[in-house]
Amino acid sequence: MSLKTLTQRAVASLCLLVSSLLYAESDYTLGEGLQVGDLPVYVGGYFSVDYRNKDDEQRYRIDDIAFLSYGGNNTLSYMLELEYKELYVHTQNGDDSTVERDTHLYVERIHLDYNMNEHFRLRVGKYNSPIGFWNLVHINVLRETTSNPISSYILYPMFTTGANLTYNSFHKAAWGVELIAQRGKAIDNGYNNYAIDRHFGVGVSYEKEDFTCKMSSGYFRKNQPIHDRDIYYALIAAKYETDSYTVQAELGSQRSSKEVTTAYAGYLQGAYYFTERHIGIARLEAYDNRLLDESDRFFILGYTYRPRYPIALKSEYQWHTRYRENQLILSFSVLF
Amino acid sequence: MRHSLILLLFAMILSTHLIAQEYAVIAHKSTPILTLEQIRAIYLKKLSRINNITMVPLNLKANDPLRQSFEKHVLHMSFQRLKSYWSRQHYLGHRPPVSMQSQESALTFVNNVEGALAYIDAKNINDDLHVIYRWRD
Repeated sequence: MSLKTLTQRAVASLCLLVSSLLYAESDYTLGEGLQVGDLPVYVGGYFSVDYRNKDDEQRYRIDDIAFLSYGGNNTLSYMLELEYKELYVHTQNGDDSTVERDTHLYVERIHLDYNMNEHFRLRVGKYNSPIGFWNLVHINVLRETTSNPISSYILYPMFTTGANLTYNSFHKAAWGVELIAQRGKAIDNGYNNYAIDRHFGVGVSYEKEDFTCKMSSGYFRKNQPIHDRDIYYALIAAKYETDSYTVQAELGSQRSSKEVTTAYAGYLQGAYYFTERHIGIARLEAYDNRLLDESDRFFILGYTYRPRYPIALKSEYQWHTRYRENQLILSFSVLF
Repeated sequence: MRHSLILLLFAMILSTHLIAQEYAVIAHKSTPILTLEQIRAIYLKKLSRINNITMVPLNLKANDPLRQSFEKHVLHMSFQRLKSYWSRQHYLGHRPPVSMQSQESALTFVNNVEGALAYIDAKNINDDLHVIYRWRD
């Protein structure tokens, strides 16, 4: 079967699945998955397509097609997420046109959770590194803009394969502590932003009503050394969320054992819900990557239309201080 | 005249308070005293066990006015914000609380299941129930 046929069938199946779920006469709610019979097992997924116009370059992309399965009980539970990443990328640059396809099905997450008691939870497997806010829910349909802030992918490994011990306390306010540990080979390292074989981190969080803040710090070791294998990072994040608006900020830094690799990378973002369907977003970002001798400050203005929450039509425009980096990005994404 | 006006204003405030509907979060007898933050955490599925008892929060149907009042006064979240919250939780592998058809079925469930929590109209409270939080609309 040719790749074109495969892609067409995958997209057709996906459309069929989404339309079946939309019109199914059951308790199914779009964006909340489907229960498998009476079992404590749920399935779902998401997909995302986008378009970018940057300088002379235009890019059309099937960014994500992913399938989720999770379930269990209050003591033991599991999560599995498989994803086609950049299944199809068509780039047009003047008269030059390229098409890239990645048909590898990646394991994005696979982990087992053990809720030991009301305070402690142990997670084992491959999981989203619990650093900041953005990295925890970084799929297009659930985030505010199609683009990710630079700070969410240059400072720390987005995924960790190993153990994660969480402590939480809920009384007058919520306190939490996270320990991250990876020692050894990662699952599907090719999918991660850093190919690593070590990652140790600690995070502290505080939540009171609509306000949350987090601090994280850690160390990771790259599989293949470019300049230096041993990297240290720190990140602080704060969020204030109400029914009508959200203000969120993250700021971090990274260094190797020899030098500062990223002096700073951060963003300040505001999202305003004009109505439940119409959302305006403004984000200011800045970073100074000394390893690549690259720095930038840019402003993003975006608008998102959600006919229903798990369906997002997004647009954004970015104004950069770096030459020829201004860009328009449009996307369509669904969580099912 | 001035005193009459003050009296009238006072009577209006008092009557508003008296006719305000009172509601309560109730729990199985075995459930310990909970703070508002803990009730919120249980309903948002951030806290699943207390004293080794599995917590089972119960909702009413989405269009039930009592549920809307609970979400506004106890969870401090609008319906739309909760929709986005549960979509994110679906991605993280968590499910929203089970919805019951009526307050009566929620009451029966709470009486019989250890760790169960529900919210009801205060006039339905009886001596068998453990009231852990009250609020007025």
